[in-house]
Amino acid sequence: MMEIAGEPFAQKFDLYTCMQCGKCTGGCTVSLKSPLNVRRMMRTALVSESSDAVLGLKELWDCTSCGTCTSRCPRSLDPAEVIFGMRSLLIEEGRGVPKTIMEALESTVKNGNPWGRSKMKRTEWLQDFEGEVKDLTGGATAELLAFIGCTPSYDPRVQDVARAFATVFNAAGVDYGILGNEESCCGSEMHAMGEEGLFEMLVEENIELFGGFEVKDMVTISPHCYNAFSNKYSEYADVNFGVKHYTQFLAELIDKDGLELSKELGKVVTYHDPCYLGKHNSIYDEPRKVIEAIPGVTFVEMERSRERSLCCEGGGGMMWNEGAEGERTAVVRVRDAAEQGAEIIAVACPFCMLTLEDAVKTAGYDDQIIVKDILELLAESL
Amino acid sequence: MEIVVCVKRVPDTSEADVVITGKDIKKDDLAFEINEWDNYAVEEAVQIKEKLGGNITVISVGDEEAKEVIRRGLAMGGDTGIRIDHPALAGSDSMAIAKTLAAAIKDIDYDLVLTGAQAGDLGAGIVPVALAEMLGVPHATLAVGLDIEDGKAKVKRELEGGLMEVLEMDLPAVVGVQTGINEPRYVSIMGIRKASKKEIKLLDISDLGLLPKDVGEEGSLTVIEELSVPPVTKVAEILEGDPAEAASKLAEIMKEKGVL
Amino acid sequence: MAEIFVLAEHREGELREITFEMLGAAKYLGKDMGATVTAVLLGHDVDTYAEKLGSYADTVLVVDDPKLDYFNAEIYQKVLSKLISDKNPVVTLIGHTAFGMDLAPALAVELGLPLATDCIGLEVDGGKLFVTRQIYSGKVNAKVSLKGDQYMVTIRSAAFPVEEGTLSGEIVKEAVAIEDVPYRKFIGYEEAPAGEVDITQADYIIGIGRAIGDPENIPMVEELAEALGGVLACSRPVVDKNWLPKDRQVGSSGKIVKPKLYLALGISGAFQHVAGMKDSGLIVAINKDPKAPIFNVADYGIVNDLFKIVPVLKEKITELKG
Ligand SMILES: Cc1cc2nc3c(=O)[nH]c(=O)nc-3n(C[C@H](O)[C@H](O)[C@H](O)COP(=O)(O)OP(=O)(O)OC[C@H]3O[C@@H](n4cnc5c(N)ncnc54)[C@H](O)[C@@H]3O)c2cc1C
Ligand SMILES: Cc1cc2nc3c(=O)[nH]c(=O)nc-3n(C[C@H](O)[C@H](O)[C@H](O)COP(=O)(O)OP(=O)(O)OC[C@H]3O[C@@H](n4cnc5c(N)ncnc54)[C@H](O)[C@@H]3O)c2cc1C
Repeated sequence: MMEIAGEPFAQKFDLYTCMQCGKCTGGCTVSLKSPLNVRRMMRTALVSESSDAVLGLKELWDCTSCGTCTSRCPRSLDPAEVIFGMRSLLIEEGRGVPKTIMEALESTVKNGNPWGRSKMKRTEWLQDFEGEVKDLTGGATAELLAFIGCTPSYDPRVQDVARAFATVFNAAGVDYGILGNEESCCGSEMHAMGEEGLFEMLVEENIELFGGFEVKDMVTISPHCYNAFSNKYSEYADVNFGVKHYTQFLAELIDKDGLELSKELGKVVTYHDPCYLGKHNSIYDEPRKVIEAIPGVTFVEMERSRERSLCCEGGGGMMWNEGAEGERTAVVRVRDAAEQGAEIIAVACPFCMLTLEDAVKTAGYDDQIIVKDILELLAESL
Repeated sequence: MEIVVCVKRVPDTSEADVVITGKDIKKDDLAFEINEWDNYAVEEAVQIKEKLGGNITVISVGDEEAKEVIRRGLAMGGDTGIRIDHPALAGSDSMAIAKTLAAAIKDIDYDLVLTGAQAGDLGAGIVPVALAEMLGVPHATLAVGLDIEDGKAKVKRELEGGLMEVLEMDLPAVVGVQTGINEPRYVSIMGIRKASKKEIKLLDISDLGLLPKDVGEEGSLTVIEELSVPPVTKVAEILEGDPAEAASKLAEIMKEKGVL
Repeated sequence: MAEIFVLAEHREGELREITFEMLGAAKYLGKDMGATVTAVLLGHDVDTYAEKLGSYADTVLVVDDPKLDYFNAEIYQKVLSKLISDKNPVVTLIGHTAFGMDLAPALAVELGLPLATDCIGLEVDGGKLFVTRQIYSGKVNAKVSLKGDQYMVTIRSAAFPVEEGTLSGEIVKEAVAIEDVPYRKFIGYEEAPAGEVDITQADYIIGIGRAIGDPENIPMVEELAEALGGVLACSRPVVDKNWLPKDRQVGSSGKIVKPKLYLALGISGAFQHVAGMKDSGLIVAINKDPKAPIFNVADYGIVNDLFKIVPVLKEKITELKG
């Protein structure tokens, strides 16, 4: 029997409960262009003797972890986790792991981020920032920990989002601080890529790190970090801090009139639900509330939104893996936005930012649509 | 096949703002890893073992931290680890390290010793070829292909400009491995944890019949006198002028830098 | 008078550039040490080489033997150790090349000589030799001293300029008995496997970005690549549009390349792209936008339209390569 950490798959993921109804596969966007068949994967996990059965399944690496399958399962099983579990077998044996995924994992082991960048450059995004940001590792204290995340820390485009975060939170007078160069990967994508040992290690290290700074409340820029801290960490360790995604935090702040927005944006804006806020955590209203608080926004919904939203294909390790060939859903998404006459696609996730911005160019909408994180829109309208 | 693989733990300086302190650089902030070449060497050893059977010894000269790279080698498929450490080793040059490795390896009934072709930090590219001479066996370095058959090693050596030298030598032998010879497997954290159960023998230089004066600065024929930062120019130097001027400046630079 | 040995390197009918670079370095070293320069030539039927070397060295020491027709580290080592023991040169220079790396360390061990490898600078101070070599991937220069009064040094390619050959050195033939070498047998040379291009193995890469605009523009850059002896690679949009196959993509989700030269044409320098090429030797970027981030990783840049630069650049390169 195929096992994970000594426990048969069937038991760990309750696979005998699966009735092979296929609702998971029916909702899977990846299956439109990849042989990935979630229902069949559930069966493979149940009946296979060893990881050999998984080795040949290249499509195992196509899953973007959007979570649609899990949210549609009538038996409340978690097919996405089964896929991560199958990946973990290959990861543990070091077989059949796509090269780019290997490099992202190796970088995370070595540098604490999957981007191949030095740990010592984590606060690089602060270099061109005019305002003050407290660094808790320098002895400062704050009520709230701002967890910046790997992509906002290192990707030049998303660094703008990190700076917008600081601009907005400074303007609102929030008492927050960062962990400077000691911040490390949350592990969300490591888990999805199947590097369980690494995920466990990051959980242990982060819990210890947060404990050392007596972190009680945390806000994240990325929904992926948010999901890891709020849902996954507790499966591995005692979590004694609260965590919010920034859209949740700001929605509350706006309720309390804690954020003054004055400049008119004067644009038609749509919002792309990131899977890790939406499908995984049912956070649909807060981001919309924040966007609609911006003066001069004409908000339009895309045809497929909220629970029905389309994945950008940036999750599940796909930032480091090419995945299935064929049209990118991000391109479809850009067309969806164009259909509604949107001038701005607002996002709330670093991965969506990267995939959609790229898709705007690919789809040829460069002179019509721009992609902005909600934080950037807020910073502009302060 | 009894295979010995030499591995070195090196700092990653690719993005670091290197700070010189005396005769070395400040390393506290740097991430360390297995020397890239050695990763290929271990993979090669494991692939040979998978094909022909046998036993792999992973060996490193270095402090307590060097266990990390030995353990990684064991997780990839190595069987036993050896770590050699002694305060007198400080200041050893590549020859002194080769001497130390030779003293340890000569007591193993080996068929094949694999090393990296060079280490990414100091980059001397001395150890494999020097080691072979000290052990009195044939060698080939910069191997991009290796076949073991009938007690012989058939090696492809990478020469400049896409050419390869094909040669054959008797075993036992030492082969210095060039990157790209294979595709090293992923080493998972779980795999490393499991490998921590395998033994890593600790040897002192006296266990190897060496005296402190045989290694370290005293036992070395080359000595680092002084380090300096070469003048750095980042942010591209922009070549001005109309297209023809700019292009000819560029072509001249390419020639000067030896890429034409 | 003291002597400096320079080991001539040749392959497939040609003396290699490194030989002349070393002879240039040896000339200055000789002045500082009061030593003459001897080019040591091992080979078979190599009279024309010997003659050519005569213009760059005071003496050309030739060992001509059919067994020396091809480079074989073991045989070379035997012959050289005999020559060095007999003549006691104060310095022996060998190229830090695939040949030199396979030879020098064993030779130094056999002779008990101090060896410094991959050197980019040579200096004499108080009669003693100091070399400069780069460590930590070129981030630090190390000045290294060599003990004793007889040294062996390997020299990095292109670190020293070639001087004009104005000498008329004496050609001396030396016979060295070569017993059969039991260990190592040269079998032949082999070109790297042809067929599908493996950009990770290329020394020269031209990376094209979205700015290439149209597949019809690709032959133009292909010509430039040919002039350089390099291969075409690209950013992801170029693959997305099926202008080049997937195996040409450089970047976080493509291939990681470390060529000697990476020439980025109309590539903005997105993080995901840079991750795949930042460790290249020499990086040159051509981009219309002076603020394009690619200029932060490039060593040299031209701010201009790539379509204006590429044709003239190709001409200049062809010209300079002769
Ligand atoms: C100033 C100075 C101080 C030093 N201090 C110390 C010290 O305190 N302790 C100490 O142990 N060494 C010390 N060294 C030795 C040094 O770290 C290198 O191991 C040694 O110089 C080998 O040179 P290289 O890395 O250029 O080897 P290369 O010849 O480039 O390496 C080629 C291959 O040899 C093998 N190899 C190289 N080094 C080792 C190793 N250490 N263990 C196993 N295999 C190896 C690897 O397979 C490697 O790929 C010192 C060196 C210098 C110059
Ligand atoms: C998950 C994910 C993975 C990715 N992986 C990769 C990857 O592996 N590799 C990769 O390359 N990208 C990757 N990308 C895409 C990456 O983010 C960028 O979108 C992409 O690299 C941009 O390609 P480019 O530089 O060719 O295009 P652009 O960013 O559009 O840049 C074009 C450049 O050309 C310049 N230009 C325009 N016209 C001219 C002219 N006539 N002459 C000179 N210059 C001109 C412009 O100034 C501009 O700088 C990935 C993206 C995502 C989301």
